[in-house]
Amino acid sequence: MKFSYNWLCELAGVRALDAAAMGRLITVHTAECEGVEPWGAHFAEVRAARVVSVEPMAGHHRKAVIDTGSGTRTVVCGAPNCREGIVSAWVPPGTALGSRHIETADVGGVTSEGMLASGAELGISRDHAGIVEIEAAPGEPIPGCRPDSIIEIDNKSLTHRPDLWGHHGMAREVAALAGGQLQEPADTGRIPSGAPLVRVRIEDYALCPRYSALVFENVTVGPSPLWLQARLESLGLNPINNIVDVTNYVMAELAQPMHAFDAAKLAGGTIFVRPARDGETCAALNGETYTLNPSNLVIADGSGAVAIAGVIGGMESSITGATTRIVLESANFHAAGIRKTSSRLKLRTDASMRFEKSQDPANTVRALARAIALLEQVSPGIRLAGGLADDARPAAEPIVLELPLEWLGRKLGATVEPERVRAILEALRFEVSSIGEGVLRVTVPSWRATKDITIKDDLVEEVGRMIGYSSITPTPPRVATAPPRVNERRGFHHAVRQAVAAQGFNEVYNYSFVSEQEMARFGRNPGDHLAVTNPIAAGQGHLRISLLPGLHRNIVENAKHAVSFRLFEIGYEIHKGAEVRETPHMAAAIYAKDSGEQSLFELKRLALGLMPGSETSPCEARAHEHPARVAEVRWKGSVVGRLFELHPRLVEAGRAAVLDLDLAVVESLREETRKYKPVRRFPASEFDLSVVADARDLSATIEARIREHGGSHLENIEFLRVFTGPPLPEGCKSLSYRLTMAASGHTLSGPELTGIREKLLEGLRAAGYELRA
Amino acid sequence: MTEQLRELEARALAGVASAATPEEVEAIRVDVLGRKGRLAAISREMGKVPPEERGLIGKLLNQAKTSIEAAIAGREDAFEQEKLARRLDAEWLDLTLPPPGVRPGSLHPLTRIQREIEDLFVSLGFTVLDGPEVESEYNNFDALNIPPDHPARDMQDTFWLENGMLLRTHTSPVQVRGMQTLPLPLRMIAPGRVFRNEEVDASHEHTFYQLEGMMVDREVSVAHLIYFMKTLLAGIFKRDVTVRLRPGYFPFVEPGFELDIQCLICGGSGCPVCKQSGWVELLPCGLVHPNVLRLGGIDPGEWSGFAFGLGLTRLVMMRYGIDDIRQLQGGDLRFLRQF
Ligand SMILES: [Zn+2]
Repeated sequence: MKFSYNWLCELAGVRALDAAAMGRLITVHTAECEGVEPWGAHFAEVRAARVVSVEPMAGHHRKAVIDTGSGTRTVVCGAPNCREGIVSAWVPPGTALGSRHIETADVGGVTSEGMLASGAELGISRDHAGIVEIEAAPGEPIPGCRPDSIIEIDNKSLTHRPDLWGHHGMAREVAALAGGQLQEPADTGRIPSGAPLVRVRIEDYALCPRYSALVFENVTVGPSPLWLQARLESLGLNPINNIVDVTNYVMAELAQPMHAFDAAKLAGGTIFVRPARDGETCAALNGETYTLNPSNLVIADGSGAVAIAGVIGGMESSITGATTRIVLESANFHAAGIRKTSSRLKLRTDASMRFEKSQDPANTVRALARAIALLEQVSPGIRLAGGLADDARPAAEPIVLELPLEWLGRKLGATVEPERVRAILEALRFEVSSIGEGVLRVTVPSWRATKDITIKDDLVEEVGRMIGYSSITPTPPRVATAPPRVNERRGFHHAVRQAVAAQGFNEVYNYSFVSEQEMARFGRNPGDHLAVTNPIAAGQGHLRISLLPGLHRNIVENAKHAVSFRLFEIGYEIHKGAEVRETPHMAAAIYAKDSGEQSLFELKRLALGLMPGSETSPCEARAHEHPARVAEVRWKGSVVGRLFELHPRLVEAGRAAVLDLDLAVVESLREETRKYKPVRRFPASEFDLSVVADARDLSATIEARIREHGGSHLENIEFLRVFTGPPLPEGCKSLSYRLTMAASGHTLSGPELTGIREKLLEGLRAAGYELRA
Repeated sequence: MTEQLRELEARALAGVASAATPEEVEAIRVDVLGRKGRLAAISREMGKVPPEERGLIGKLLNQAKTSIEAAIAGREDAFEQEKLARRLDAEWLDLTLPPPGVRPGSLHPLTRIQREIEDLFVSLGFTVLDGPEVESEYNNFDALNIPPDHPARDMQDTFWLENGMLLRTHTSPVQVRGMQTLPLPLRMIAPGRVFRNEEVDASHEHTFYQLEGMMVDREVSVAHLIYFMKTLLAGIFKRDVTVRLRPGYFPFVEPGFELDIQCLICGGSGCPVCKQSGWVELLPCGLVHPNVLRLGGIDPGEWSGFAFGLGLTRLVMMRYGIDDIRQLQGGDLRFLRQF
């Protein structure tokens, strides 16, 4: 929202506060100022000048001699309206006009000393057609145009302040902060009495608490005077014509959106405020036609919608050059309803933005009073016709709050003198009286009572921000000390991160979204995923149920410029269902341009590090898994994840091994159960054993057999190597193990060892294994 | 014979001293000290020595043997030392070579900052809470004093889900969970991932990280809040910071503030980082709105509190000078390996 520094100064009755200082003051006490930009600096130089004579030149140019009030000058001018006798705006040489520097220049053999400027060149209108024509004596400044600064306030910081959507509201703050005398621009004494010439019917006061209107006749429609155009232009509002410009000016001043209808285009003498009929259309001022439904409120005449209430006016009844009689609307609408309509139509206007903030119903008539004065100024001869039409529900009872001063001091952590509290609130136009010991009775002004201030805590903010939070001394809180509750899960996740990173893995963070293409690659359907109803982009329409698609993307991308790498992510899978389940997972991947075996075993080592004693058992492969390189990871009897190579189809060059663990399950199993066993006192014996098996027999199976037949003294089985090739027959392999035998109470004797060994070999042979010497 | 002994000893010692190899020393040992060696030969001739000289000769004989043995042992030891020295020298290693195997991994910068800040808060007596990424509309908005038609909902473009839930737009809903589960007085933080339906560019992300903090006690004031924030920020930035509170609007606090810190780059005199203002907006905070306490099952007449939100993503970017927010979730090793 843009504020004119000059305008604020006028309304707040302050001087001696420069624009930058005003911006800072507003930031610290009221709302965030995003910047202060100079506007119209050239008006310090530009002067009125009368065209004394005009001579044609080659082309469209003319040589004009002008009276600048301080001597005559010659300028070359291309404007068609450059003619003898008019007074226009002369830009002297050496003036910066926006990014242009106006200098004395030779134009077609004529020395042009500066230039005569159009409204667009001066930045006060959109008019490029010709030079401005003004009423002023040569040498005078351009009437209504002087250098200003535009103070830009962050809209978000005005969300809760309907009153600050107009200059007068902001001026009230500035006056309170800088000690100015706030000016009231509206004279409600101007509101005519008597019967109105238009009737208003509000169907639902909840949606439209108030609708006020006046009828004017003998209207002349034309361009606004320059001062009005300039002011609107400086605030980024497009000047249209004198009538519309007045409505926008009042909105910018008093935060009350208004709308002018051409009375001749309204059917019947009644204005209806009602929900739109289903499918009813409205051709709006912006050239679009909107199809409405009953959730949208419309302003209608006898034949149909003439405006979308609080959002935009209709084209049909808009002000044109032929308009002579107008109905001026100043209404109040329910914030949520306007917000809904505006977002459904994807149409945010200056009006809808203001109504969304819960405007003050008391403001409608005040705005009309202000408009009367302005219209008389810009449309000479205009006359009020009839009295005020004003349909409203009874005004809300004022909000009255009790403010205990001791409580206020405790909330702020600072003592503020009662007189100071009172002065602050009164400067902001709260009514304050004292009731009893240390308690103030505070009546909230109507423009702060629509939503903003409802409880005494809201007054803490008013006092706090006006004294300035920097005046409060930071104080250590007095609190009981107790060790905080420990978040085991978080600690566990951090420990896993640390452990995995220590094994050479780089941690990634991927998005929670997954595309349909990605889910298809991993054998999943959109239906398996929780869908986002308003995705920001195609490919982000569903929530991930696996970390793998993200990790896969990382692998493919990084493989473009790295030969081998390790990555991992800890994040949440989001599973749909009656209850949404968010499951923490750790997915780690090793990418290398090799045969892929080593990577799988590295990951297995990682798993063993995280889960001592965990096992990998063969399982059915999924779509994205290498069908012959996949295993379930089990720990303490539970499945905790999967170890596999990504299907080579998913990895163009090189191979990627993946370990995917459900951290919730791992965490639940991680309770320490081991117990100390006394260290063995007697020496152990070792012997090696080579078992010949089918090429695809599992080492785990053979180890289990060894354990089964090895007897109670078998202490450890260490895998040594696997061997294939001659003299072994095709399709066979030999697995070698070193077995450790020991007894707890004595040293095993030779005969004992031989006995154990014989029994083991016999058992293995019986199980169908051959043994190699 | 005395002469003969002396000469033998002298020659043997000289021979040992000049021996170039262990073999030469061994040869001398065999020649002089061996069973058939020269000393043995002399001692065999002792019988021919007159009895009165035998004592002296015997003594000389022993002395010669001892000194030659010592010389040989010394020389052999020297050879051993030399051999060891040569072997060790041959084992020279270039320790400037990089180690074989994988290079060290890394933790994501967001992990680093989260852990650091969690540790800081735990040391101040705060409990760390987690909350789900998929939240109910109630917890994300209503329970935080943001009713359905509230314009504040516009400030937070929301991702809605098919089941009527949403992706949390802030970590504030964890406040609600904290109030429901923790005993009073309470101090909690909740770091986590949040979502906003926003176009992504170098400074905007639809997915980022926040940290919510809340303290509820018998008497909590604005003065306490300022003190606490200063302490916290000194911990984060590892230096004293000057803070400024100004009005900020957040429906779940009243009064609400934006907390700025004096620009750490220019010290407040104005620079591009602070857009010449001398201040950098850092965190929203405020006293917990009585409605929020009430909805959390806490009596606002008895208890009060403050709450704040810290943008972890922003903090990471400030800390490491990251100028493109998209890097954080881009998964690019060339970025990740820098941490
Ligand atoms: Zn700076």
